Amino acid sequence: MIIADVTGEWDYTNLPPNVIVGTNCFLERRESFRRYRSTRDVGLALGSRVRVYACTEFSVEPDGVIEVGDDCILAGAIFMCAERIQLGRGVVVSYHVTIADSDFHPLERAARRRDAIANAPGADKTQRPAYESKPVVIEDDVWIGIGAVVLKGTRIGRGARIGAGAVVTRDVPAGATVVGNPARLAEGSLQ
Amino acid sequence: MTILAHDWFRRPLPSNIVLAESSWLYSSYAFVHCRSTRPVAVRVGRSSGVYDGFFDLGPDGRVEIGDYCTLVDVIVATNGAVKIADYCFLAHDVTLAGHAFAAPSAPAAPDADEAHRSEIVLEDDVWVGMGAILLAGAHIGAGSIVGAGAVVDFDVPPDVIVAGNPARILRSVARS
Repeated sequence: MIIADVTGEWDYTNLPPNVIVGTNCFLERRESFRRYRSTRDVGLALGSRVRVYACTEFSVEPDGVIEVGDDCILAGAIFMCAERIQLGRGVVVSYHVTIADSDFHPLERAARRRDAIANAPGADKTQRPAYESKPVVIEDDVWIGIGAVVLKGTRIGRGARIGAGAVVTRDVPAGATVVGNPARLAEGSLQ
Repeated sequence: MTILAHDWFRRPLPSNIVLAESSWLYSSYAFVHCRSTRPVAVRVGRSSGVYDGFFDLGPDGRVEIGDYCTLVDVIVATNGAVKIADYCFLAHDVTLAGHAFAAPSAPAAPDADEAHRSEIVLEDDVWVGMGAILLAGAHIGAGSIVGAGAVVDFDVPPDVIVAGNPARILRSVARS
């Protein structure tokens, strides 16, 4: 293990050319980019002063694009991106959070069987069947609590709070607090 | 200055970390985000093991771990007190945090209610299942079991099983 690789002291200019890093960002762990495979013109764009801590992972499929606004803090965000995940400014993502814009596998059983075979070690992954993806949009100043899961097609409105362990399957209105699995408005939220 | 003999991170432990005899700490990497200025930031008791995980503590953060405890990849993120008594098991991806939105650079909590610095307390013989989240105000009574993925921020009596999100007390643990 190279210590600089886990303390943010590594050379960020070694990242793939389609990763844009804004000014004064801190990227703690080189490993965060281990599963970054985007082939888009820009596959990941980080704004200014974004802090990316150790447990964060940018797992991006070839067609995926992640956009992170200025002043975001990512303590432990696992991004699983097939299409598009967009974070506004000042978003705080706590530990063990997963944000996924796709199921990554088809729902239908026979298609899933084909997917299992195409995903085998050494198999031809171009034979994978299509699966559904829908962009995730997280607006400015949203806070996402420890262990929360944000699933495909959701929009989290400005300033909303996602409670620890919540599983977000639907849009969350601006300023709301949601908790639980599936996530529902917390008592007293938005009243 | 203490450098653990087995440490890949090869940095000394902060001076306010106390490891009792026969304890095991995987690496000084556990304290890469530890900003506690307390005389004792983290104390690990006798024959306790800390395997992976982080202590992401603010200036007032302090953690006491008793004897014969096992912590496997646990994140402790707080600017308050966390007390773990003796004979506790904490499983993979458990988080003990002062508030739900904890991060290493601890921004201001979103409102006064979440900013309060209540303790997190685990009494003797507590077992915390994988991925559970204990927030400020969680006080787990002796012998109780916290189910995998549970989110707890309240008093749990001794010798019960608490599980779910939000967590509920399900039943008593049979005593042998």
